[in-house]
Amino acid sequence: MRVVVVGGGVAGVSTVAALRAGGFDGDLTLVDAGEFPYDRPPLSKDYLAGSKDLEQIALQRPHWYDEQGVRLLTRTTVTALRTPDGGIELGDGTLLPADRVVLATGGGAARPPIPGAVGDRVHVLRTAEDADRLRAVLVPGARILVVGAGLIGAEAASTAVDLGCEVVLADPVAMPLAAALGEDLAAWLHGLHARRGITTLRAGIASFAETGDGVEASFAGGVEASFAGGVEPRTSDAAALGAVARAERLRAFDAVVLGVGMTPQTALAEAAGLDVDGGVLVDAGQVTSNPAVLAVGDGARTRRGPRVEHWEAAQHDGARAAATILGTPAPEPPAPWFWTDRHGRHVEVVGHMDAADQIIVRGSFEDPSFSVFGLRDGLVVAAAAVDDSTAVRAARRMIDRRIPADPARLSDPSVNVRVLLRG
Amino acid sequence: MRERSERTNGHSSTDGIRVAALDDIPEGEGIAIDKAITGTADDIALLRDTDGSVWALDDTCTHEDASLADGWVEDGYVECPLHSSKFCLKNGEVQGLPATRSTCPHRVEVRDGEVYLFPGQAP
Repeated sequence: MRVVVVGGGVAGVSTVAALRAGGFDGDLTLVDAGEFPYDRPPLSKDYLAGSKDLEQIALQRPHWYDEQGVRLLTRTTVTALRTPDGGIELGDGTLLPADRVVLATGGGAARPPIPGAVGDRVHVLRTAEDADRLRAVLVPGARILVVGAGLIGAEAASTAVDLGCEVVLADPVAMPLAAALGEDLAAWLHGLHARRGITTLRAGIASFAETGDGVEASFAGGVEASFAGGVEPRTSDAAALGAVARAERLRAFDAVVLGVGMTPQTALAEAAGLDVDGGVLVDAGQVTSNPAVLAVGDGARTRRGPRVEHWEAAQHDGARAAATILGTPAPEPPAPWFWTDRHGRHVEVVGHMDAADQIIVRGSFEDPSFSVFGLRDGLVVAAAAVDDSTAVRAARRMIDRRIPADPARLSDPSVNVRVLLRG
Repeated sequence: MRERSERTNGHSSTDGIRVAALDDIPEGEGIAIDKAITGTADDIALLRDTDGSVWALDDTCTHEDASLADGWVEDGYVECPLHSSKFCLKNGEVQGLPATRSTCPHRVEVRDGEVYLFPGQAP
């Protein structure tokens, strides 16, 4: 059997690895548009800061592909799906035969239709090239506006302030990540920005305009500003908006970073007539509406639920796609997990905090490390931890194995969280 | 470096270096032994599996700067506390992303409730 995987992100590379680990001995090709498959989380952190280079964030060592018997085609685009007859068509017109094609095409950085959002000073952050371009402007004293305070925007803002930039972070949402973290922890985490000297604005953007020495942003709607330097947060009113307008340094920027999400890359699938609806639609085995084509990672969505954009979810997609191709049982997916690193703090989240009917805080938000557990009907359904990965790993097992939790012991930091696994 | 370790601990390399009491390492957890004691380039993580057995690996995760001694030890593997890379306790082999390189295992012996380490020797 011949399998071609299109896209060298974590979903594509995981698919290839899981196929070989599962005993697949057929012809295996990985097609990637970039220089080589690399990991994306460092693009907003170590790579953006310049402390890691592209080789250091490679998803696999160069000789791994040879060891695994994987034909790696880099700097190669795929222009069409011809499955099941001819496989895929490459940018140079070559037809690559395949019995199964796995689409791991990921997504592109979203560019909202804001007037002026396509100028040279307006950046997105999705690829190493994006990060290279942005890094060149993150110099000490540079005035940087980051739009979007979710994962990418918040991490980019943290890196920029580390590099000595003057950073303004704008998001229309009062507490980014509140659904994933719970409101209290989300407020604490968002509050780190102001403590590091970042000016946070609760605002959307109406437009950008290039000026002689930068790009000017017009904020939309009522603006809530929490100013760095000890000024208390302001409520949403004309006075706050006026304060923003008066502070010229909050309006003209050397560069803007749009961290406002991603758009799944589904053009290949659409052109091939596959079902697409906010992602390439797949079943529980990652199979699309064409039985010869599977889809994994950020660009795919199961018909049952929303599209998931997290790193580990892409890895599990790859494992499921491999199982489908091998005809073996798909591994049971563990509770969803993601992390973010910002302002020197490592934050991990597992499960669904918004499903909880009881929140247990273990330790205090003032402690060097602490965690929050979400319970529903006495069972752990989620946990979020700051610099306490052990709590998250314990919680993950409690969720997956449905181990009942004792709230009193869970909230007591002197009780070893590993012991709680024993029920 | 090895010589300094031997002087410090009063053992020859054939006896190993006494680095901990077995009771110092709870099951499912690990402790880090300073490279000044082991004479190795990296600290060494002493890791106690859920079956009670003790293993030793280079302490620093091959992905990013995190201590495997702070990781989660279970069923023959240690899971890095930072990004969940997993390493086999017996041979240091990496199991899945984000780490891509294996880590170095070291031989350990438990005698009379004391843990002896043989840095650089294969288990």
